[in-house]
Amino acid sequence: MKKYWSFLKNGVFSIVVWLAFFVISVVVENWLETNTMVPAIFALAVFLISLYTDGYIYGILVSLLSVLVLNYAFTFPFLKFNFSIPENLISAIIMLIITILSSALATKIKNQEKMKAETYKETMRANLLRAVSHDLRTPLTTIYGCSCAIEEKLDSLSKEQLQQLIQGIKEDSQWLIGMVENLLSVTRIDTDGVKIVKTPTVLEELIDIVLMRFKKRYPGQKIFVDIPEEFISIPMDAVLIEQVIVNILENAVQHATGMTKLEIKVFTRGNQAVFEIRDDGCGIDKERMENIFTGYFEMKEAPVDHQKRSMGIGLSVCSTIIRAHGGRISVENRKEGGCVFRFMLDMEEEESE
Amino acid sequence: MSNLHKVLVIEDEQNICNFLRTVLETNDYQVLIANSGGNGKTMFLSHNPDLVILDLGLPDIDGTELIKVIRQESEVPIIVLSARSNEKDKVLSLDLGANDYVTKPFGTEELLARVRAAIRSNRFAGGVRPASQRFVLQDLVINYDARVITIEKKEIKLTQTEYNIVELLSVHAGRVLTYAEIVKKVWGYSDSGSIKKLQVNMANIRKKFGEKPGEYRYILNELGVGYRMNADTEDSTE
Repeated sequence: MKKYWSFLKNGVFSIVVWLAFFVISVVVENWLETNTMVPAIFALAVFLISLYTDGYIYGILVSLLSVLVLNYAFTFPFLKFNFSIPENLISAIIMLIITILSSALATKIKNQEKMKAETYKETMRANLLRAVSHDLRTPLTTIYGCSCAIEEKLDSLSKEQLQQLIQGIKEDSQWLIGMVENLLSVTRIDTDGVKIVKTPTVLEELIDIVLMRFKKRYPGQKIFVDIPEEFISIPMDAVLIEQVIVNILENAVQHATGMTKLEIKVFTRGNQAVFEIRDDGCGIDKERMENIFTGYFEMKEAPVDHQKRSMGIGLSVCSTIIRAHGGRISVENRKEGGCVFRFMLDMEEEESE
Repeated sequence: MSNLHKVLVIEDEQNICNFLRTVLETNDYQVLIANSGGNGKTMFLSHNPDLVILDLGLPDIDGTELIKVIRQESEVPIIVLSARSNEKDKVLSLDLGANDYVTKPFGTEELLARVRAAIRSNRFAGGVRPASQRFVLQDLVINYDARVITIEKKEIKLTQTEYNIVELLSVHAGRVLTYAEIVKKVWGYSDSGSIKKLQVNMANIRKKFGEKPGEYRYILNELGVGYRMNADTEDSTE
């Protein structure tokens, strides 16, 4: 299907461009009453087509066609093929050389672009990997250390000590689970460049799942929900969007100091669903705001303390996911204090019905 | 010992087996462990367990194959252990006859709630309506003969379709029914819009039940998979 599409696209492009230049040749020939310009015009057409189509084949076909037409229509003897005149033969050969060279050039440029994109992706991945490995060490230290302590000192530990160690293991494994979910989300998008699969998802069911998952992790934190009364279905990869909302909520719980109210608000605007997660905590300072979705700031300056870790990857995962959905995500401080994360998803009309 | 519920765990990861054994035994279940699919098949046939907990990622046999094998023999409840992000596996397992799935990693409470629900749901194995003609879940009561649903003794007015959906889920309480399965059983046919039709009906049912997101008590939401009538009254839903 894809191959067929590319064939069609390249073919149509070649034909259209070539015909356009053919017309130009005819016009120029009649206007200036000379055919000396014609080969140059055809050379330009061949060059452009070679440059903007994939591979060599379209360029070569067009150049052959140009040679034939040039020979047939624009050079003496007119309206006859004649390759016995050396000029004609030489111009044909030159045309072919131009084609091959420009196709080669175009292919090289395209490869370079691809490599640039590839390198960018690699850098992102490396950043992520570095952030993750750095972040993984702390909880693993807790888990390993606590379990060693329990194993070795089982008999001499007091009940309180034991409880504390176990609590440490539990908390840090929960944190690890969160990290793994985030990483899985990223791989779910990245694998062989496949676009995400969107399924119509009922808004209130999505919010339900988010709240249930969040409640498990932070039983004490109340979340206010404000969603439209009517039935709303949004095409999305629900597992990923769930991850986005949970990450933003989690970020608020961990970083919005002084927060008293955490709220999810969803409304529709035109053909878009707008999700807002608001808190009334300390807000985000300007410097941090700029890099909040790239994770860059975190890696460079984050202290290694327990509280601050993971913020970077959580939010950069959010932005990756939303971008993969073709949506937009942003954050701003609220006038009344705290901040609001906002992302938008398209709600195309259901194709059925 | 013999009147305890017998749980067969088919799982190749030794640490998970230990964890499951400890949790289940301390909660008064009798536990059998099979470390491979082949082993599991044999033990299933020779021990006739009350519940099977099955890991989908076994080294020797595809877990979904094992569901088929077990379903040919009996209606024993099956709980599948699966990865969170894999809805396809979940739906496939459920369509093949698994009762429920638990996503890894899971906590003990979650697991025990599912185990209780699955064992309880087996009372209505095969989807036969319970003899009592009544379904009771917390303050929700369904009177099957009168086709009347009450919550806190107040009647909830549902449309025929809405009632049919609720009845279907209640007959299979504790079991996750996939969207496709519910559509097939309620409408008898399915087309491209039928899952949406089901979701719209469900939204209306929830509105009439007075349930809000994050606080569903009666019909639980398995996003991307289907719905489940809550069966575990000891569930920590409050």
